[in-house]
Amino acid sequence: MKGALFLGGLILVAIAASLIIGDVPLGPGALWQGLWGGDGPGALTIRIIRGPRVAVALGAGAVLGLSGAIFQSLLRNPLAAPDIMGFTSGAGLAVLAAVTAGLALPLPIVAAAGGLAAALLVAALAYRPGQATPAVTLVLVGLGVGFTTAAFGTFLMTRLPSSEAAEAQRWLSGSLAARDWGQAAQVWAIGAGLVAALALQIRALDLLAFGNDLAAGLGLRVEPARWSLAATGVLLAATGVAVAGPVPFVALMAAPLGARLTGARSLGGRLAAAAAAGACVTLVADLAARAAIPGLVLPIGVMTGPLGAPYLLWRLSREMEKGEL
Amino acid sequence: MTHAGGTGVKGWALVLGLLVAAVVVTLAWGVRPVSPGDLWRAFTAPDPGNPADVAILSIRLPRLAAGLVAGAALGMAGSVMQALTRNPLADPGLLGVNAGAAFAVVLGALLLGRADGGLITALAFPGAAAASLAVFVLGGGLSGDAGPIRLTLAGAALNALLLSGVSAVVLMRGEALEVFRFWMAGSLASAIERPVAMMALVVLAGALLALAAAPRLELLSLGDTLARGLGTRPGRVQALSLVAVTLLVGAAVSVAGPIAFLGLMVPPLARRIAGHSLRRELVASAGLGAALLLLADTAGRLIFAPGEIRAGVMTALLGGPVFIWIARRLKPGAQA
Repeated sequence: MKGALFLGGLILVAIAASLIIGDVPLGPGALWQGLWGGDGPGALTIRIIRGPRVAVALGAGAVLGLSGAIFQSLLRNPLAAPDIMGFTSGAGLAVLAAVTAGLALPLPIVAAAGGLAAALLVAALAYRPGQATPAVTLVLVGLGVGFTTAAFGTFLMTRLPSSEAAEAQRWLSGSLAARDWGQAAQVWAIGAGLVAALALQIRALDLLAFGNDLAAGLGLRVEPARWSLAATGVLLAATGVAVAGPVPFVALMAAPLGARLTGARSLGGRLAAAAAAGACVTLVADLAARAAIPGLVLPIGVMTGPLGAPYLLWRLSREMEKGEL
Repeated sequence: MTHAGGTGVKGWALVLGLLVAAVVVTLAWGVRPVSPGDLWRAFTAPDPGNPADVAILSIRLPRLAAGLVAGAALGMAGSVMQALTRNPLADPGLLGVNAGAAFAVVLGALLLGRADGGLITALAFPGAAAASLAVFVLGGGLSGDAGPIRLTLAGAALNALLLSGVSAVVLMRGEALEVFRFWMAGSLASAIERPVAMMALVVLAGALLALAAAPRLELLSLGDTLARGLGTRPGRVQALSLVAVTLLVGAAVSVAGPIAFLGLMVPPLARRIAGHSLRRELVASAGLGAALLLLADTAGRLIFAPGEIRAGVMTALLGGPVFIWIARRLKPGAQA
């Protein structure tokens, strides 16, 4: 309980800091006016520029965190996350391809299609008839699919005019620049729908954590449940990618970080903690990317890389000690 | 399996044939195709007023030299790394060694406030050295149990970290995207501005070192205890191998930027040709690496001429599927 309050407090502080800090630093007065509908230039900056950016960061971080928690629980492997396994880069590539080709399709749908395609590709390529696919094979094959989609992304970029290529590069590393309330509404509305869908499957996810045999023994139809949970996870990740780009490592870090901070033990609690931790990491990373170097706004992915890569390395050394890899 | 001799001769003919074909194709094919007669004339009696001669001598020839140097270096570096880590997924690009070299160069350019000139590219060597040492240690090299999966993931993490460092530094300088693209995925396009001749010497030194270390590296693959019993000092062999990898990768990055997957794809092919001798495998890797990089570069120039796809992107498009293919064949928990 104390942990949950701490994480909640951390998020509130990060929100306030994100609204105040920027090219034009604002005071608490402007923050107050901006939040409660007062006017003045500071209030407008908060309501029109920084407000939607914060809302998008929170929403995208939360859906990415949830997605990571689902896969880590489903595959019982702390390294299984949509960003490591290439799903987010598949979603990102699809969006980039649609933009390059000038297709006027809704981006969340494009991202979802790309993420699902990448996930199916990974599952198909890792499949070996007559054997259960080990989670590490899924992770490695996913890594390979990620490499290939990243190369296709770079390839598409070379087909773009220089100015658009710069924008695409920012987007591909994950960026929250110039977001509006429409995008915030999009990630929150779709995210809420997917959370409702996840809530219906939470018992199945809980049972699957005991292993397929036991889950089947307890009356669960294992295969449909696994596919449906995986689809929910991919769609959650794609929702985040559609508004923020393929931000690396958030999905990987969120669930263990959330569990560590809140001490949550029940599955529902861990999922909520993962969403909160994902939102928090994304917001803090975006703030750091905006404010670390005065006069320069870096894409958020440049910040989650240095945060997430050491975590992955640390996690690997832990797994090594336990002899699980 | 193919052993020394027998199909070996055919294999070597294949390497040589590919290399010659790659050289000819690099010189002759492009936005402006030239005939064999033109090629001959451009080399024997160049006319500075003839655009074809200029294209061959001042654009394609440096490209060819850079491709030969970087391709051979990355192929051999891949072979050494795969032998050292006993990991079929080892590649200087995937394990972050390329990215370490690139990061050191862009960081040096930022701190010294100059564009990436001759002296600054020398920073590629400490960068490659630090990254290869880091991967070796992270992958459990000190305790002698670097399983392929663990090492690959450690390398991917290090690679992600270093590449986000590169993009942060480059975006900080706010300079043209072209610089950024060069250091994110390598290319042979600006070969004439790169210290190709000097780096060829470095690659030669790295190659000699790798060839010298090869027999003892093979003993090491039998396991530390056995190798020790046969009079090999594992620590020394590993150090020697890491120095060789550093020289090879540092030189390749100075010449062509970070090019991934070449060191992954080439060694398995070279192994088939060379049988079980690491020395022969290194020679085959050098030839195949150079040929593959030149062919990838030429294909990248031709597919969307006059626009071009960077050689580093082409090797990644080829190498991703190869990576998946190898990953599928690994058993979880495998140490081999």
